[in-house]
Amino acid sequence: MKYFLKTQSDRRLEVEVAEDQGEQGYRLLVDGEECQAVLRDVDRLGQYALVLDGRSYAVSIEETDEQHLYVNIAGESWQVIAEDEREKAAGAIAAQGPPKAEQIKAAMPGVIISVSAEEGQTVAAGETVAVLEAMKMQNEVQSQHGGVVESLMVATGDRVEAGQVLIKLAPNPDAE
Amino acid sequence: MAPSRSKPVPESTPRPIRKLLIANRGEIAVRIQRSCRDLGIETVAVYSDADRNALHVRFANQAVALGGNTPAESYLRGDRIIAAAKETGADAIHPGFGFLAENGEFADAVAAAGLAWVGPTAKSMAIMGDKLSSRRAMVEAKVPVVPGTTEAVDDPAAALRIAEDIGYPVMLKASAGGGGKGIRVVPFADEMESAFSTASGEAKNAFGDGRMYLEKFLVSPRHIEIQVLGDKHGTVLHFGERECSLQRRHQKLIEEAPSPIIDEATRQRMGEAAVAAARAVDYHSAGTVEFLWSQGEFYFLEMNTRIQVEHGITEEVYGVDLIAQMIRVAAGEQIDDCVGLMPRGHAIEVRLNAEDPDNGFLPSLGTVRNLRWPGGPGVRIDSGVYRGMEVTPYYDSMLAKLIAFGRDREQARRRMLRVLQELHVGGVKTSAGIALQLLQTEAFITGDYDTGFLERYVEGGNEAPKREVTDDLERVAAIVAALHRQRAGARRPARNPQESSGGSNWLRAARLEQHGRSGR
Repeated sequence: MKYFLKTQSDRRLEVEVAEDQGEQGYRLLVDGEECQAVLRDVDRLGQYALVLDGRSYAVSIEETDEQHLYVNIAGESWQVIAEDEREKAAGAIAAQGPPKAEQIKAAMPGVIISVSAEEGQTVAAGETVAVLEAMKMQNEVQSQHGGVVESLMVATGDRVEAGQVLIKLAPNPDAE
Repeated sequence: MAPSRSKPVPESTPRPIRKLLIANRGEIAVRIQRSCRDLGIETVAVYSDADRNALHVRFANQAVALGGNTPAESYLRGDRIIAAAKETGADAIHPGFGFLAENGEFADAVAAAGLAWVGPTAKSMAIMGDKLSSRRAMVEAKVPVVPGTTEAVDDPAAALRIAEDIGYPVMLKASAGGGGKGIRVVPFADEMESAFSTASGEAKNAFGDGRMYLEKFLVSPRHIEIQVLGDKHGTVLHFGERECSLQRRHQKLIEEAPSPIIDEATRQRMGEAAVAAARAVDYHSAGTVEFLWSQGEFYFLEMNTRIQVEHGITEEVYGVDLIAQMIRVAAGEQIDDCVGLMPRGHAIEVRLNAEDPDNGFLPSLGTVRNLRWPGGPGVRIDSGVYRGMEVTPYYDSMLAKLIAFGRDREQARRRMLRVLQELHVGGVKTSAGIALQLLQTEAFITGDYDTGFLERYVEGGNEAPKREVTDDLERVAAIVAALHRQRAGARRPARNPQESSGGSNWLRAARLEQHGRSGR
């Protein structure tokens, strides 16, 4: 199998599993360069022991889903997107499609302190559209991609659950 | 640290404390229980429905349910807490920090119920709890204060006039504020109106009081605070300073003691000012006098009339148990044995918060699925977290305090690097990663940082940390992700013939492993 990796700093890597050697681990081709790797599951709770070309690492992995992983090594962590060949091809096709509508959701349960967006308004990517209070802190809720506000699903004072849709955005027709 | 003694406070006949109720939860409740065990004092925990399984409940000798989940339904129910103390035969209440710790009415109610209150008097709290009254008291006691208003302002027009006098930039602060709420910096007159309305609104929301206080915004300020301790016999001591400038939106992340920029002469001057501040309000128990330090001068900021989160680094440097001292003071004992204690070495604390630094420091909720604690020389962990704990939206996001102690600053720093490299928290995101980066910045290494450093670092445009590990860990992380997928794919039924050959080996290995485990 061949995997296409992308980290949050947009570093890309191709890892090909050249040979599964069972207990001896894997022979890999990392961007064409040969490596030997053994990854063992330590506790079935997310801790792993990795030996890569004779160097040892205490690793932990948190999986959002199959393709989205957080990998922590010695206190540092990286968000990695891992795709196989089939997924990479599918992703390339989807990326060529039209811009998508966005649903802005609550990242955590809390109370809506204010809603600054209005229906019909165009918001930019990263723009604050509401303020959510949770854990004694006021948190700004932002649009990820931007768009035109189609409907406001909540009002000031509403109590919301994690994942609840707060605002629906239609794609901005002016965007390329 | 010369002791200073003045008018003795009456009602100081020692009355031993044998059973203590802790009106708090999480890390600080556990911390207080630990001192109680050391002193041979029984403990009573109180808990909300959400905290039924919490560590502070399990570590206590007795535990009383308060019901509810939100603080208002549980840890803020002073009446139920006092009833629980009476019911269990406790003779004192320690409030920890947050919740009822700085609530004078509660302190009075505790005393009225015939219980010892482990904290200062309601009167001390009242004066120090209000920005304006504390400032007036400090001016009178000749403690230096930041230029600003002495009266609360309630409309933007008045704020504009005052700001012209003080000179921009100015800072707006909620009269009844705390915890970073209701605070705004106003760089120019143009921004006053909008800043005033948001800050005032936030304050009104949080404290029911929208009045604002204005002061000069200091250039490159550092937040340096002095630990004080007083008894009911008129002794007030200080335990040097803590450097708390690594903070974001007034939430501290890393603290150290001593401060890298305070010399012995300044320490003495600040210590004397802090003792004078405490004396001005007849303070007893442990407290913290916060100063802003800018360009060689220091100014009184506020006094926290309670034990503080970061008290542990002072304990390490002075070899003192401040919680135990608070309990002794509440029992009417003297703190003579603390006179003349000298600081030794250096301590650094990192607050382990359940928050996501990659995502605007949003609180990270979930279940703590995995925990690996660091250890070794010079390491202290004050924690209330355990595997399986739910991080809920009801309470503060602090999970634990990591403390490293060394003979000097560099040894403490290196030990903290080790602590953060060994630590693992699974299931929720934490502040550990960003703390590890900050400890390796040139600014931290040289000690040249101010209260704006963390924000600037987060916003980007700052130096990349110098990592000592030369391995390309980002590359390793990406390889791990590929290996993880390969293993996961191998465990599932094959999707196509290409994958099946690799899969069978791993299936077999997994079965073997499982078989081996069940036999143990």
